[in-house]
Amino acid sequence: MHELSIASALVDNVVKFANSPPSKKVLKVLLQIGEFTCVEPEQLLFCYSVATRETSIEDSVLEIEQVAAEVRCLHCGYAGPPKYWDDALAAKPVATLECPTCGNATEVTHGHDCTIRTIRYIEQ
Amino acid sequence: MIKIEASPEEIYDIELEHSLLEANAKLAEKNRAVLDRNGITAIDFMGAIGSGKTTLITRLVEKLKDRVGVAVFNGDATTSSDADPIAAYGVPVVQIATINGCHLDANVVAKACARIDLGKLRLIFIENIGNLICPAEFPLGSKARVVVVSVTEGPYMVRKHPHMFLGAQLVVINKIELAETMDVSVEALTGDVHKLKPDLRVIPTSCKTGAGIDDVARAILAV
Ligand SMILES: Nc1nc2c(ncn2[C@@H]2O[C@H](COP(=O)(O)OP(=O)(O)O)[C@@H](O)[C@H]2O)c(=O)[nH]1
Ligand SMILES: [Mg+2]
Ligand SMILES: [Zn+2]
Repeated sequence: MHELSIASALVDNVVKFANSPPSKKVLKVLLQIGEFTCVEPEQLLFCYSVATRETSIEDSVLEIEQVAAEVRCLHCGYAGPPKYWDDALAAKPVATLECPTCGNATEVTHGHDCTIRTIRYIEQ
Repeated sequence: MIKIEASPEEIYDIELEHSLLEANAKLAEKNRAVLDRNGITAIDFMGAIGSGKTTLITRLVEKLKDRVGVAVFNGDATTSSDADPIAAYGVPVVQIATINGCHLDANVVAKACARIDLGKLRLIFIENIGNLICPAEFPLGSKARVVVVSVTEGPYMVRKHPHMFLGAQLVVINKIELAETMDVSVEALTGDVHKLKPDLRVIPTSCKTGAGIDDVARAILAV
């Protein structure tokens, strides 16, 4: 489960931040997940609760926000949202790399990362 | 970039742009640079357990070992049963055990590279852990990622696991000699792949009859 490796990288980073002087109590972590990644928010939330157990950020809350996918076509110059495959059998419409205007392959410009955006904390 | 806003209750928000995938991506680039310097192309194979990754790699080793230096990293390393038949061809094989058991990462691949003599190699085949969704987020430093699917996984294999294909450079549809028996259309699976990524090359193979293996070998030598 890759959510577990992502959660532990996340927790390592946030714990390091919390423990660096002045010591802080972390209330909330805002994580942005790109639509082109296949990180499952539900699984990640679960992994976070496990990975924070018995750490200094045990009581913190993880909030996950999705970053919309965007692509760029080198064939026709299109830039914007990807073409979606609605009747694939995935849980929701699937963002594809097919250009919405010319049908060639596009490249991803947004939505393939997983980043910590905000850490909310109080100083102790 | 750091911006701190204090609110009346002394609650602070620190804004970051810290990528959790970047550390691995950087290591992967480093692996790639080391391999490039040695004139080595690494190819990694992803796909479900039983899709035929080990068998395909074995066939490719068989075909290519007398022409070019080949090594194999096996990430499915709970037992040595996969590695032994490949090692029997006299090529270096490194078994990689991962802690999380979900995917290889660039760090373990760097360690595997350090265990072999890179001097005489031209190709390294990396068998990723049999898993359908994970590997895409963890580049290893390979020049091409191959997804191996088999017709025995049913007609909806691609639709159900679309993410795996987006980051691939080659798709192998394996066990095609069973397509009719399984009532699975290789053309339909290929069409599904192209809906996701129109320029993604698809090669149908059978490791049993040998169909398509030469095409895969040629595609890999051309990477
Ligand atoms: N009928 C048939 N069986 C195959 C083919 N390729 C692999 N297999 C068999 O499928 C099983 C799983 O193959 P393996 O290479 O271990 O899959 P992996 O888990 O992806 O490494 C083995 O019993 C192979 O002999 C094929 O093209 N046709
Ligand atoms: Mg295997
Ligand atoms: Zn276009």
